[in-house]
Formats: sequence, structure tokens, C-alpha cells
Amino acid sequence: MSDGSTAPARPKSRAEAAHGGHGTVDPVTLAVIGGAFVAAGHEMGHAIKRLAFSPGAQQVEDIGGGLFTVAGEEICESDTSPMHIGSIPAYIQGFMRRLEGDVNEGDVIIHNNPYEGASHAPDLLVAVPIFWEGEQVAWSAATTHLTDVGGVFPGIAIDVFDVFAEAKIYDSLKLYDRGVRNEMLWRFFLDNTRTPTYVEGDTEAMIATCRLGERRMHELLEKYGKDTVMPAIGEWLDYSERMMRAEIEKIPDGSWEAEGYLDDDGRNRDKPLKVKAKVTIEGSNVTCDLTGSEENSLTGFNCPFGGSTVPGFYTIVRSIFLDQAVFADQGIPQNHGLFRPVTVIAPVGTIFNPAFPRSAGPRACLVCTAGDTAMKALAQVVPDKISAGTSTLSVAVYAGFDEEKQEYWSHYDIIEGSYGGRQGKDGLDAVDTLVINSRNVPIEELDMLFPIRTERYELRPDPPAAGQWRGGVASVRESRFLVDTVMTSEAEGTYEAPWGIFGGSDGTPLRVTKFGADGDVEELPSKVTNHPMEAGSTIRWEQASGGGFGDPLERDPEAVLTDLRDEFITLEIASEQYGVVIDPQAMTVDVDATAKLRADRRG
Amino acid sequence: MNRVGADVGGTFTDLVYWNAEQKRIEVHKLPSSPSNPAEALLAGLREICEMHDVEVSDIDQLLHGTTVGTNIVLEKNGSEVGFITTEGYRDVLYIGRHRRPFTFSIQQDLPWREPSLASRANRRVVPEKIDAPSGDVLVPLDEEKVRQTVRELKADGVDAITVGFLFAFLNSDHEKRAAEIVREEFPEAYLSVSHEVVPLHREYERFSTACLNAYIGPKTGRYLDNLREALATDAPELDIGLMTSSGGVVSVPDASAKPVSLLMSGPVAGIIGGVWIGRQTGHPNVITLDVGGTSADIGVAPGGELRMRRLYDTAIGGYDVMLPMVDMDAIGAGGGSIARVDSGGLLQVGPSSAGAIPGPASYGKGGVEATATDAQVVLGRLRPQGLLDGRMSIDVEAAEKAFDDHIVGRVGDRDRDDAAMAALKILTHNMVRAIELNSVRKGFDPRDFSLVAFGGAGPLWAAEIARELSIPSVVVPGQPGVTSALGLLAADLKYEYSRTVMVDVPSANPADLQAVFAELEEQARESLAQAGVDESEMILQRHADCRYVGQAYELLVPAPSGEFDDAAIAQLEESFHDAHEREYFWRFGSEKPVQIVHLRVYGIGLMPDLELNQIEAGGETPPDDAVIERAPVAFEVGGVTERLDTAFYDGSKLLAGNVVTGPAIIDHQTATTVLPPDLRAEVDQYGNVIIDCTEAQNV
Repeated sequence: MSDGSTAPARPKSRAEAAHGGHGTVDPVTLAVIGGAFVAAGHEMGHAIKRLAFSPGAQQVEDIGGGLFTVAGEEICESDTSPMHIGSIPAYIQGFMRRLEGDVNEGDVIIHNNPYEGASHAPDLLVAVPIFWEGEQVAWSAATTHLTDVGGVFPGIAIDVFDVFAEAKIYDSLKLYDRGVRNEMLWRFFLDNTRTPTYVEGDTEAMIATCRLGERRMHELLEKYGKDTVMPAIGEWLDYSERMMRAEIEKIPDGSWEAEGYLDDDGRNRDKPLKVKAKVTIEGSNVTCDLTGSEENSLTGFNCPFGGSTVPGFYTIVRSIFLDQAVFADQGIPQNHGLFRPVTVIAPVGTIFNPAFPRSAGPRACLVCTAGDTAMKALAQVVPDKISAGTSTLSVAVYAGFDEEKQEYWSHYDIIEGSYGGRQGKDGLDAVDTLVINSRNVPIEELDMLFPIRTERYELRPDPPAAGQWRGGVASVRESRFLVDTVMTSEAEGTYEAPWGIFGGSDGTPLRVTKFGADGDVEELPSKVTNHPMEAGSTIRWEQASGGGFGDPLERDPEAVLTDLRDEFITLEIASEQYGVVIDPQAMTVDVDATAKLRADRRG
Repeated sequence: MNRVGADVGGTFTDLVYWNAEQKRIEVHKLPSSPSNPAEALLAGLREICEMHDVEVSDIDQLLHGTTVGTNIVLEKNGSEVGFITTEGYRDVLYIGRHRRPFTFSIQQDLPWREPSLASRANRRVVPEKIDAPSGDVLVPLDEEKVRQTVRELKADGVDAITVGFLFAFLNSDHEKRAAEIVREEFPEAYLSVSHEVVPLHREYERFSTACLNAYIGPKTGRYLDNLREALATDAPELDIGLMTSSGGVVSVPDASAKPVSLLMSGPVAGIIGGVWIGRQTGHPNVITLDVGGTSADIGVAPGGELRMRRLYDTAIGGYDVMLPMVDMDAIGAGGGSIARVDSGGLLQVGPSSAGAIPGPASYGKGGVEATATDAQVVLGRLRPQGLLDGRMSIDVEAAEKAFDDHIVGRVGDRDRDDAAMAALKILTHNMVRAIELNSVRKGFDPRDFSLVAFGGAGPLWAAEIARELSIPSVVVPGQPGVTSALGLLAADLKYEYSRTVMVDVPSANPADLQAVFAELEEQARESLAQAGVDESEMILQRHADCRYVGQAYELLVPAPSGEFDDAAIAQLEESFHDAHEREYFWRFGSEKPVQIVHLRVYGIGLMPDLELNQIEAGGETPPDDAVIERAPVAFEVGGVTERLDTAFYDGSKLLAGNVVTGPAIIDHQTATTVLPPDLRAEVDQYGNVIIDCTEAQNV
């Protein structure tokens, strides 16, 4: 899998799919069957989170599920965090290298090897082959970020030696063989996690979800017949592919490059890591080349190629060229057809394609930064389709041992980033960004379940990045630990603020502060490993705010006034950054004074 | 007892008068008055009384379904809301659950921030904090700060205030005290207090519900006050009841205090009307299909019981509302749904709609795109002079042109009839899928149900949909256009009280739960008594939201009545296991303990039974004058679109016992029933048309 580039497996000729006719299935039947697939994918996502036992799966929705062809092409997916589903084709290729010719009705396969397709080791895949008339016709599969997979530290691991320290590896294993559960494996699996209650419940939820997907596929085959459903799958994928290619084709051919930096590898603090992205458009194909990015880390701060780097770009490319909000009128289905025009390149031995046996666990920030850098490159050619610099999420795992239950408690908070300004629109304030789309856990649920008191959750008080369309304002979140706790974190942006563009200012960097129980105040790096948080201590996450877009002197003065009213900015900022004069008593824009000030500023 | 049901929709205001003693029903329909919906309602009430020699003062009860609140939300013209919340959490309402509605989009907006129900300037924090899980006071409420904040908000010109504190579901003392201060300082402000609006955990959803309540509160309150005042002289004794999203009816004061509970008022009345029609015609298991111009509302009621939506799946206009709502689905499929061939060569119909303006091409109001209604016109199913007794004409050529311009030649080698048929099939399949999602996918077999179809366009599609889903019969009410107004009269009074208990079954103390149920039942009983319901007409129903310990989402299951003992808990537990298996096809079994999250009590006040007027009886053959004309209409026969000689009937002239065989079209003035070839329909004693869909399966 780690050959350095993806040549997406596909059964039909590219030209035929892009320009050819509309196949053999009646378009009406195709729309009906396709719609049923979309509904099945969404239903699978609902099932996992509703059946699951860990807040990560239930609330955060760090899950995925869908139906796949026998060759591993995605037919449909759940409407959940995108890193999960785009990766499943790679998982299937990964486990099939061992199971080819040995897949039987009633099997349930588990897999999490990050060097054989897994998104990262905590994201366990459960896959069920779907049979019809004695022959396998598809896969039903689900993934969930399990709370703990038995690595050297609870939850995720940053500062670790290799992939063996990071997690237990379950590679192409049959949890059920022809309908019979392998009790030894099940016991081994649950004995090797710190949070067996969560892991057991979540894994059963995935099995139930795969069964549900299988049921839906069987219903379609029953109703329309295999001779219709199977070609319909191919044409459904081709349809999405045509839509994507049509949009890419509108962009002139060319190559655009940009660079960015990651804070550090989680161990060597003063050594930022380079990210280089070159995006090439050639006809209806797009290539994302990460060559020139940093050599792989000797810690866990690396990104599995097949399961994370590649699907990360599937998400970014669709978000830019086939933006769901822009194409809201056309429900273009998310499936493998959208992946086919996309090729991703990252040389083996770099952070986006680490060499075995490096650890490659905490990769969300890596993928987001790669996507952000690709947007920076594309700003040169499609400024109306991108946003200015966008910050990543922060992931913080908090864990401790529960003496009463004789089991660890462990929770991971996902603290959202914010988008940069956009052509015609401000950046989105505090929201999950780019390749992540999770939900926060309600404080009234979290504080009831864990020895944590969430003490603050609101927008951070620092002003947004100035611009004609200002950057989004990120959040500040504080958690107090009521018992001795360890924290592992994956975050980005303490050094490099999200970039402004076309005259917009840069955003605000991330700041992580620990307030010790004894009153000590300490700034922490973005990535720490098993960091002690004693009872009574507090962690504060001030998330990075997005960059500004366009010249602030062009910003609508009424929008500046609203920002003042909303206490995002001060009177001084209004005049200094935006050239807008506001009467503080009447709280109105002084139009003449503003025009004059702006004229002076422009010189 | 004289009762009137009044359903105020966007286009029409429908009224149904019912006299219980005389068993007499009268109906009336008039155009709505969108700028002041009360006008048409009052005019309609006077007119229906005049037409049938009843004094307005003789009306005892007016049941009302209103979209006033819903329209405020959709048009985003609500109040300026000040939101007083816990220090440190100023923007919880704004951040929401931090998830983007579109996963794959850079250019999207976030609907709950467009605009935020309370702007940041109006979101104010005060020091206070309740500890979790104990519910003890961690930081005392700074009352002076509350007072000062209320004064500032008043000076800034807000007209409504929400008080929402973290963990108020555990301990509401701080919210109560802050509310008192608001009343002292700013008595004229509309006040919404989070634990009163929804006493359940999940801060964002609770705050959003309470703020939405404040957002629509002042205007909805004014509307209801105006209505009451306007009727005060004509009918001083008149009791006004409003339909809620959960299918109950509440008094004007209760509705004014919690207008957010009325948001689904209209569509829910339709479902109740459909269920009632089903019961009248001997079809207890019903799927209701209410199709209008832009959307289709679908409800599934096994055994005539309304199902409630899961509490966290409820949002309106992008704003989260954590309140009980009848489980219904609204999809963008209606007469105005636009058919388009997209750049990928796929024919799509809806969700975009031509709406009322410009409307379908055939309505001649400026529409040029091919809509679902135009498809019906092309196929010959809607007569040029057919709608509203000829008050609205149909331009057949415009419909044909719309299809020629936009569809024909772009979906294979289909001719115009084929293209129109394809558009209809796609819209039909969208509705079929929505019904499937709400029936088959929840463990209910459509073969055990009947489809009750109403609204302007429901009966056009019903037979095709029923065949597709193997639903054995379709019921088209005699007057399909007033089903929602009928539903208002068919509904019982209903109050709902709930409390978060969050207790694991193994350690649950039945006496504690009994005490909570008793308290909730007492509240429900009091409300019913206040509404004038006699003790003998009261029913108290218990429910519990349960989940497996460790899960995050609950399922609502009925709880046994009587003394709540160990056996009752065991019964509740078993009901939950069953419900879970029906919902997800998965049962975790007895090794996983069950948790009871919320207890609920529904207080129901039974209303007198409604009965439809019987129509004149006739033989199997419809009277000659019932046939308006015969014309060629396109149907799909054996997979091929063909024009068949088809009879058009005047629905009002059909007699009880008449049998109509397809292909046929029945005109009901405000709606049209399409009866495909090989199907057979019978008119019952009330004028309902029952289509038997079991005979022919040659789709």
C-alpha cells in the first residue's frame, strides 16, 4: 500500500466514465437504487452512534460506515466524520492481501494495521462480506475510533518509539468465522484495552451496523435482482465521477505550490516540520503531491498514507470543487466515483507516508494542515472556492484509573478550530474544520460521566484576523481535573498562525496553558504525551483563529459595527485596522469620517 | 356541544364545524390572510356560523392549528432576545455542537447562526454555577449582576429574555431566582426560562429551545391575545385550544408561555386527521401522506398511535428544538417540485420547488420550469378547467412546453409522455423511500397498513405509492382538503410533564420513581382540571426514555401504570429490550443493564367522539351525472407509457356503495384522485374513496 502514490483501482475505462453514455440501467431505476444506497449509508451512521457505548462514538461521532464493492470501492457512506469512510477502501485492500480466497458467509473481519490501510490504529474496522446466491457481491463495513487499543499510553500516543508501542495491531483477523465467534480472539481483544466496556459495546455496535448494511443490500437485490443492482452500482459511481470531472475540467491546467509548517514532532520542541503541497490540474484529473514535506518523525507524529493522507485529500478536493453548499440543489452522492479523479503522492519515509515501523497515530492535525496548505496553493487559481488559513482541531485525551470499576476512565475532547475568511463571506467561527466533522460532547453529559469539570467554553476574547471578510474566531475551553489525570494531546498552530490572504491579516495562534493546583502557570506545547494533570489543576485551550481574506479597508462598515457591538473588536481596532469611525455614544458609523480615513489610509 | 376546528395554512384557512348532539359536520374553506392570519380565521368562523344558522356565541370550543410561530422561524423575523447565562459559557448557544451540516464544503453557512437566536451583544453572563453530578451550589448566583444585566438589556431594546444556566436540570434554584429578578426589573419582557421550557440535560439543545421560545414568544403571544380579544365580544365563553407538535391540545395561556411547543401544529393536525379517517373506515394501521405544493408530510401510526420522534433529531429551520414531536417526515416533494436533468445526465425532481410563485408552468403565474404538477397535466390527469371548481385554469400547452424545453431529449430517447412519466416516477420513489425510512426501516411492514392520502396533491400519487410499497389499500377522505381541520377536532387535550432521573435499573428504587410519576401525574391532573376536563374523562399515560447504561441515546417506551414496583421495572426493562430490537435489529441482552433517563407523563383529556355525515347510498354503478367527461390519459402499462380512455368523475356526485374502476380520475374540488388501470375503488358511507391495491400488481 505504501508505494508512494495511489492509482485508484477501477474497473471501467476513465474515458467511458467521463464522457460516455449513461450505461445500461434505466436512469429512473438508477436514481431509485442510488437513493436507497445513500439512505442505507446514512442509516448505518445513525445505528453506530445510537448503539455505541463510548462518548467518542455516540457524541463525537468519530465513526463511519458504508457499503463497498467486492474490490473495495465505496458505494455509499454515513454522514459522519469523513476520515473514517474514505479510508475503508484501503482497509479492504489491506486485509484482502491475507484473506483473498478465504472470505465466507458469516465472517466478521477486524483490522487496524496503519501500514495496511487503517486510518490509524485506534480506528478499528469491522467488515462483513455480503453474499447473494452463494457468491460475494459486496462488503458492509464500519469503523470507530476506539477509546483505547492497548498502546504504551492511554488513548493516543505521541512520543513513542514505533508502531508496536502505539497500539495492539489486529491485522486481517476473523472475529467470526462462518458465523462462529472466535472466543479466544474476543477475549484477547478485550483484555488488551484499558476501556473494555467501551470497546466491547462499540465493537458490537459496529457488527450490528454491518448486519444492517447487509440487510439493506439484500433487500435491494431481492427487489431489483442482481442483474440490475450490480450494473447500477457501477453507473452510480460513474455518475459521481462525471460530476466531479466536469467541475475539475473547468479549472485551467497548471500546477500551484504552497508551504506550511507544523509545530514539532511532540518530542523535539524547537524543530518545526515542513509541509509542502503541489496541486496539479490536468484535464479532469487533480494530483496532490506532498513531496518535499518533512522526513517522517521518530515519534508517533506521522500520517498513515493509504488510510489517512489519501482520503484526507478526497475530502479536501470534493469540498473545494464540488462544495455541497454550492451544489445544494443537486444531491451528488458521496462515493468512490468522486475519488477516481484524485491522485495523491507522498514519498515513503516522509510524514505523510511514514516507513514501517514508525508510529503513525495522531494524524488529524497533519491531514488538516496538508489540506490547508493545498488550499493556499489553489488560492492562486480558484480564490472563490477556498478559505484563508484555517486552524485544526485539538484532540486531548484525559485518562485515569477508576479503582471502583477496576477499569480506566478515558475521554477525548475534540476542540474545534475555525475557518479563514472566504470570498464574500467571513470565516466560520468555532466549528470543526476541513477533514474533521465531529460533535462536541455536551458539558452536562461529560461532567456527569467523568471526574472533569468543564469550566469555560466560549469564543476566545482575542480579536479576529482583519480582512474584507474577517477570519473566524475560535473557542477557548477550560477543564479542571478533579482527580489525578494524565493528558495526551494532538494539536497544531502554537507557532504558525493561520495565514491571511489578499491583504487579510494572519489569524491568532493556538495557546495551551496549564494552571497547576498549586497556582503555577505553565504554557504547554501543542503536543504532550501522558502529561500529569494533578487533581485540582486546569488546562486551557485557546484555539487558533482563522486568517483574514481581502483588504480590511474594503470591509462593509456596518459589519465592522456589528463586530464592535458583539465585542469581537474595539473602537481602536475599528479605526486602526478597518478605517471605520464609529460614534461610541450613538453606536453608528460616521460615514464621512470613515470615507476620509479610508482615503487617507489608501494614500 | 359546538366545536370548530380551524387550520390556518399558507394558502387556505380550513374550518370544520361539529355539533356533538346533532352529529352534524360542516366544512368551509377560504383563502388565508398571511399578513394577519387571525383575519381569515375570524371571517371563516363567522361565515361558517352564518351559513349553518349557528351563533358565534354558541360555539363552545375553537381548536386551532397555527403556523404563526413556524413562519417567524422560517422568515427569521423574531424578537430581539437577551440571553442571560452562566459565566464562562457565553457562546454555548452559538457554538452549538460544532458540527458542520455539510461535511464537504468550504463555502457553507451554519443555519443556527443565521442569525443566532441571541446575538453575541445580547448574550450576557452572570457568576453562578451548579456542581455536577451533585446539584449543589458551586458558585452562588450574583443577584446584583443579574439585576444590572436585565437593566442593560432593557436599555438596549430587547423585547424578550431567556434565562439559561448550566446544570439547571439538576438544580433550578438559580434560574428561578434570576427569573424573579427579570420579572421585577422588566415585567413587560417576554420571559423564557430553560428548565421550564425543557427540564432535560444537554445544555446547547436546552438553551436553543428556550431561546427559540423567546424568539417567537412575543409575536405568537400577541397573535393569540388578538384572537382572544377579537372573539371576546362575539363569544365571551369560547374556549380556545391550540394543537402542539406532540399532537396534544393546550390552552391559550399555556401556548403563550411555550409557543415553541406549537411549531409542528399544522402537519401534526393532518396526521391526526388521517389517523382518525383511518379508524372511521376500519383501517387502524395507517400511513398518512399529506402532499402540498412544496412538501410531502408523512406519518406512520401503527394501531392508530402517533409515534414520537427521538428527542435529539428535532430541529426547525436549522434551530435545535428538544421537545417531543410527532414522528413525521417532511420531504421536498410536492406539486411544485421542479424536474431537472443535471450535468451528470441524471433526472432529478425536487427538492427545489417553484412554490406558489412562479408556480408550475401550467398555472400561468410566470413559472417556466417543468414541475410535478406539469407532469400530471402533460399526462392528461388534471383537466384544464379542473381546479377549485374552475376558479383556477390550467394551461396545458405551457406544461408541455416546459417539458419540451427542459426534459425531453435529455433523458434517453423518451418522448414527452415518457419524460413526464419518468419525472412522476422519481418523485413517487422519493416519497416511497421516505415512507420506507419511517416504516420498513423501523420494523413496520407496509403490507399491514393503509395509506391515507390528503392535501391538494396526496391523492394524485397515493395509488402508485401504495402499489410500490405493497400497501393493500388507499383511503382518500371525502373532503381531502380539510383533513387537518378534522384532525384538530379529533385530537384529545394533552399535557406533558417530564423529569430527568438518570438511574440504572439494577440500583433503581421503585419508590423514588413512583414518587416522581405521582408528582408529574398531579401536575397533569391539575392542568386538565384547569382546562375543565372532568375526572372521568382524564387518562394519565406514563412513559420512560431508556437506554443501555453507557449509551447516549434513549428510546421512549411505555411504562406500566399503578404502583411502580419491582415488577413494573422488570416490565419496563423488557419493553425497552423489545423496542431496541425493533429499532436497530439488535438486542444486547440481559448482561447489559438498562438506564432510565427521563420519566414522562401525558395527561390526556378525552374529547367527544367525532362522526362524519353519511352520504346518500347508491348501487355499484355511479350515477350518470357523476361522469364529467372521458379523455385519453397516460398511464404506465407493463412498463410502457400508454394513453388510455379514462373517465373523469365529480367526487361530490358519487354515492355510497359506488364502485369506480381504473383508469379513472376523481375530482374533489380541492384535490384529485388518480386511479390507475386495473385498480378498483369503492365509495363508503361517508364519501371516503377506498382504493383496493391488492388486485393488480402489474406495475
